[in-house]
Amino acid sequence: MKEMTDRRSVSASVARWGLLLLAALFVLLPFWMTTLGGFKSLGELRVSPLGLPRQWDATAYLDILTSSMTWQMMLNSVVITGFTVALVLIIASMLAFTFSHIRFAGKQYLYSYVILGMMFPGATAILPLFIKIRDIGLLDTYAGVILPQVAFGLAMSVLLFRTFFEQLPKELFEAALVDGCSYGRFFWTIVMPLSKPILATVGVFILVGSWNNYIFPLIMLNDQSVYPWPLGLMEFRGQYGSEWNRILAYITVTILPAVAFFLYAQKYIVAGLTGGAVKG
Amino acid sequence: MKSVDIALEAQRTSRLSAVKDWLYRHNTGGRLSTLLLFIPPALMVFTLLVILPIAESGVYSFYRWNGFTALSDSGRWVGWRNFQFILQDPVFHQAVWNTAKIVLISLLIQLPLAMMLALSIASKGSLNTLFRLVYFLPFILADVVAGLIWRFIYDGNFGLVAAFTQLFGMESFYPLADRDWAFNAILVVVVWKYFGYHMMIYIAGLQSVPNDLVEAARLDGASRLQIIFRIKLPLIMPAIRLSIFFSVIGALQFFEMAMPLVTSGGPSGSAHTIVTYLYEFGIVRSRIGFGSAVAVLLFVMCAIFAFIYQRFVMARNTA
Amino acid sequence: MLKLKHLVVSTCVGTLLAVCSTQLVAEETVTVLHNQQDQFIRDTWDEIRVDFEAQNPNITVQLDFMDDDAMKARLPTLLQSNAKPDLYWSFGGGNYRVRAEAGLLADITDKADRLRANIGSGAMSAFEVNGRLYGAPYRLAQVGFWYNKSLFEQAGVNADTIETWDDFLDAVSTLKEAGITPIAAGGAERWPLHFYWTYLAMRIGGQDLFQSILADEASFDNEHYVRAGEELRRLAELDPFQPGYRGMAYNEAAGVFGNGQAAIHLMGEWDIGVQTSESESGEGVSGDNLGYFNFPMVDGGMGDPSATLGGVDGWAFTSGNGSDAAVRWLEFFLAPEQQRKLAAAGIIIPVANGAAEAVEDPHMKQIAENIANSSWHQVFWDQALGADVGGVINDVSAELFAGEISPEEAVDRVQQAWDFR
Repeated sequence: MKEMTDRRSVSASVARWGLLLLAALFVLLPFWMTTLGGFKSLGELRVSPLGLPRQWDATAYLDILTSSMTWQMMLNSVVITGFTVALVLIIASMLAFTFSHIRFAGKQYLYSYVILGMMFPGATAILPLFIKIRDIGLLDTYAGVILPQVAFGLAMSVLLFRTFFEQLPKELFEAALVDGCSYGRFFWTIVMPLSKPILATVGVFILVGSWNNYIFPLIMLNDQSVYPWPLGLMEFRGQYGSEWNRILAYITVTILPAVAFFLYAQKYIVAGLTGGAVKG
Repeated sequence: MKSVDIALEAQRTSRLSAVKDWLYRHNTGGRLSTLLLFIPPALMVFTLLVILPIAESGVYSFYRWNGFTALSDSGRWVGWRNFQFILQDPVFHQAVWNTAKIVLISLLIQLPLAMMLALSIASKGSLNTLFRLVYFLPFILADVVAGLIWRFIYDGNFGLVAAFTQLFGMESFYPLADRDWAFNAILVVVVWKYFGYHMMIYIAGLQSVPNDLVEAARLDGASRLQIIFRIKLPLIMPAIRLSIFFSVIGALQFFEMAMPLVTSGGPSGSAHTIVTYLYEFGIVRSRIGFGSAVAVLLFVMCAIFAFIYQRFVMARNTA
Repeated sequence: MLKLKHLVVSTCVGTLLAVCSTQLVAEETVTVLHNQQDQFIRDTWDEIRVDFEAQNPNITVQLDFMDDDAMKARLPTLLQSNAKPDLYWSFGGGNYRVRAEAGLLADITDKADRLRANIGSGAMSAFEVNGRLYGAPYRLAQVGFWYNKSLFEQAGVNADTIETWDDFLDAVSTLKEAGITPIAAGGAERWPLHFYWTYLAMRIGGQDLFQSILADEASFDNEHYVRAGEELRRLAELDPFQPGYRGMAYNEAAGVFGNGQAAIHLMGEWDIGVQTSESESGEGVSGDNLGYFNFPMVDGGMGDPSATLGGVDGWAFTSGNGSDAAVRWLEFFLAPEQQRKLAAAGIIIPVANGAAEAVEDPHMKQIAENIANSSWHQVFWDQALGADVGGVINDVSAELFAGEISPEEAVDRVQQAWDFR
């Protein structure tokens, strides 16, 4: 009897390990091929996409890393993402604070109105948005991408901020009001410093979305000097057609910052990207 | 004459003081000024750039218009014709079906896979942490990057598929060029990129399941499967609901990943999703009116989903 | 000859005067957006640019490249933004017309005297909309069958005997039997496939029918265009293309032809360069090995077999950007001297007066003659009919090849799009 359960648990554990390793292989193989592909010649890539390069050829990588265009695009992404994150954090937390701490008529309606935005992807608005951004003269500017990104990041952020603010101890708020502290000061001097975890969570959520965003820049930007990196990547692919070794090298260069950031701040990233939402 | 003036004046002052009084009462702690300062920025951005454009799509959808000049100059009212055209277009049907396929593949393959993995590596341990990191890795990539990497893998001359066909001496195969395969190939990329994400949601849920509950059940002689189905899954329903929500919303806005994988919706538009269809006709072929009609239909689908989700999924939770 | 001398002299004087007058003007940059893949052509253009800048020290010309597919997708938004170039590569035809009428292009009618003097009025008219000029032609193009002579020989096919569509289909079968991929095609972009359907429609339906469709007196939904679809199906049933053609862009298909992996490529004469630069060796199908024949006639067709499908391709000025400097660059670039240089290098079939004699490449010469002797030179349908109708024609052509729609459904869909334009 005991032997049987043992055997069953052995086979269960084999199955478990099999599944885990298979899934890991499925995930990692594309990364492996991409990173190494950038070191191969086109001819070698054709016959052996999987193996180690016979001769490590870093030309493709060096070409990319020494091109000022690469760095310009990374910088553009930093600017766009930086402003998007900062703006969302400020205006979304302010709005969420009024929802959580101030009583006013129609609050519930206003909240539902904003949360509605979570249901509707940017694509539903993309055509009028293009015309609007064009008509106010913001095409080919950072702002032309930042504003739509902020707008479509608000709903989720307000939800997360409100949930967090409402969990702050009520006594804190009452004590502050008794001391004659205004709502504004209460928000900036007491709530904000306590909100670092949620700021990080929302910040990461918006940061990753903005850093990786393609559809808004695709439509709003035509000037290469303001392209963020995803546009740059697609542009590069267009230039080099099927010279896959170069394209793979470019991909590797663009994903390095993301991977490094992920390893550095994984706790917040996981919290931010899973919506910070799963608490029992 | 004069007395009327005085009466009016008195009325005016009293009204003024009433307003002042009201302001004072309502502005304790700077409440009113805080509201006036804190609400408008987010509300304006949201209204101008989210709600208004969605409403404008509704207007544009009744026009034939290329958007180059003002609607009043070059728009032509066509009534419901844009909608008629879209609803009759087999490519649009395919796009909707493909969008539904993303949801189905999520529910039937991706989420169960994510759950199985989550259950086996939810407990603490450095090896488990490593696996988690690995599975989550694709999710931090941009969709265009994921698409481009797999474009290479699927390339019949270079990639993994090519290596495979060469190995077995088969004729070269181009999944993305094949009407029956193109979208399925894209679905593989969807699973590749997102299963780790859903797994992470489940792990976060599983870690909040009280350990003593599981222990108590085990002492009572519950089997592994019983513990999973009777205790763990019911307790992490919120996480499951959340991941379903993200799957559906993600499917409805699926676009960026497809861009590097297929050109204008792939062979015969067989790999279009609703949003790539919208982009192809609205932007590339400059038909703002037609594209807006697609946007309106997308909006309706989102609204229907939101309704169903609120009504049935969320309701079951509170029951 | 006298006329030519006169032109040259006036050009020189004009340039001199221009140089003098611009001494006072501040530095200006003219940006030009093109989709030219071929490095040799880009280099030649660059030489012209250097010459121009030497003569016009205050003007800098910037030639920017974007790949064709991306450019098509980008132009609609690009033309509405401030990042637009001064000039961009444009075909004459419906798209150009729509953009001109929408105010996206700059009207240069009043500055065009020298352009008009240099360029034949026939080609020029392709860039006129309601009597106004928004750009100018650069070259003529004709689509036809390029083939690999040694592969033909290997299969025992003689291109000279291909006179009818049936002959062509026989040749394809023979190549196939010899184990050679008969035809390369860039099916992902679809437009390379629409050449087949539209050429067949031209051969079968003729010019009068097409003109009356444009005038809304006839419909795409006619027996001749249905037959075009049926004839296309006969080719499709031979499974003539390289594997995976539906996933390949034009330049990838050009590479397949250039590598000698397929025997035929239906394409414009620009393919001579592109199949060379896209081939792995960088040599392409070169010299004597490259052959050309016209799209054959179809038995029972009403179309004149001399009719040509192709382009009058050139440059368009974007709105707000028809500056004197930009016009001067285009005048220089399209002047007989440059056109002769480009023609002599085998790059273009020129449009400038008197430049045609400079064409030396035998293929280019033949195509120049074809167009000159053509009773009907029709601009690519997907360009001529506008982006939306053109897009549908490209779609249905691809679907016809895949056997996913019937010839009747194809004309139905095109007519539907045409009615709804």
